[in-house]
Amino acid sequence: MSAGDLAPPDCSHEGCITCGDEALPLTVRRIDAERGLALCDDEAGRAETVEIALVGEIAPGDTLLVHAGTAIAHIGPATGVAA
Amino acid sequence: MSMKFVEEYRDAELGRALSAQILSEVEPGRHYKVMEVCGGHTHSIYKYGVDDLLPENVELVHGPGCPVCVMPMGRIDDGIAIAEQENVIFTCFGDMMRIPGSDGSLLDAKAAGADVRMVYSPLDALRIAKQNPDRDVVFFAIGFETTAPSTALTLKRAKAENVPNFFCMCNHVTIVPPLRALLDSPDLRLDGFIGPGHVATVVGARPFEFIPADYGKPIVVAGFEPLDVLQSIHMILDQIAGGRAEVENQYARVVPYEGNTAALAVMEEVFELRPHFEWRGLGFISQSALKLSEAYAELDAELRYEVPGVRVADPKACQCGEVLKGVIKPWECKVFGSACTPERPIGTCMVSPEGACAAYYNYGRFARDREVV
Repeated sequence: MSAGDLAPPDCSHEGCITCGDEALPLTVRRIDAERGLALCDDEAGRAETVEIALVGEIAPGDTLLVHAGTAIAHIGPATGVAA
Repeated sequence: MSMKFVEEYRDAELGRALSAQILSEVEPGRHYKVMEVCGGHTHSIYKYGVDDLLPENVELVHGPGCPVCVMPMGRIDDGIAIAEQENVIFTCFGDMMRIPGSDGSLLDAKAAGADVRMVYSPLDALRIAKQNPDRDVVFFAIGFETTAPSTALTLKRAKAENVPNFFCMCNHVTIVPPLRALLDSPDLRLDGFIGPGHVATVVGARPFEFIPADYGKPIVVAGFEPLDVLQSIHMILDQIAGGRAEVENQYARVVPYEGNTAALAVMEEVFELRPHFEWRGLGFISQSALKLSEAYAELDAELRYEVPGVRVADPKACQCGEVLKGVIKPWECKVFGSACTPERPIGTCMVSPEGACAAYYNYGRFARDREVV
């Protein structure tokens, strides 16, 4: 096991989105309606697979508020949000 | 989303204008204590120096809303006991790995050979289970109502896709019971609350109505950008000045008053309330945490494995309890910044970036001289 395996994750700057009451706005890129998942990315282009069962109908380009891999709110294509 | 919208909520000019409005709301001789319930707000306040824009007689008190910070040592020990079982891959969020149990952390257990892996979502843990069909994969679930729907959906998915080696040790907690416990606490006088914006995205603003109704205090559900927090403080002080106590929703651009009904429905299906749960520093609180419902019992790691379930007292030197209740400031703790630092935490509040101690240590450690105590 390398030392890197044991290092704590680097989430000390922006907070840990999965632990705190924080959620991030992500943009929908591709939707897999059958599996209830969407491929989304953030401003920096980092991709994430997101559960979409809790938000209504969505389309590519929409913004979702995502927490721990699950979209908890549909913010819409035109609305900005500071999460 | 465009950065434009974020920048609007960080505009310094608007911040100074709000600061002036706040100053006009306060009575000079009166001391105001406002609690930010949520660790995300604590983090924002320190990061952006929101408290620098407040009058001296408006004090922000940090609440119990960091799910890592409120986790008692006994639950960490139980998690480690499962992680040390043969054939188990134990998965959890990053912060959780560093929380000290009575005999080391999950990170220490990993160093000693246990297969402990960090994940960013419960869905990641389920993926690991599918990739390792010969091993049991246990997800250590923590978080308030913001995170619980994510765990619930993953458990539903595991059941629907018939993944037999995926289990969950559920430590989800609920926000209303500890708030009630704090309001009932005789050693704390609060004037109002900054409500947790993303918990409210799930549960809505309605569950907080008991705060004005039963205790006569205002609460404003708030977003997380610095101007959101400032505006919420202004709304709270405006209620106090006008003799009002209501639930207001500053974060209406995201939070529907009734919450996310689909999320509440899936939580209802997958979880049920525990009769009581121990909170770090706050003791046992009735109906304040979730466990898996009967329908999901076969995925419950606590039923699959024997866990010690022992109650472990917090370290004597650590005053996380008083910090979590807002009775003392982080720097007033005897071990803050000396024996207890983010690199070598003794107490939970120093571990998570949302923890009041870590936030204070990282952003506000040099500002304590101007604290109003």
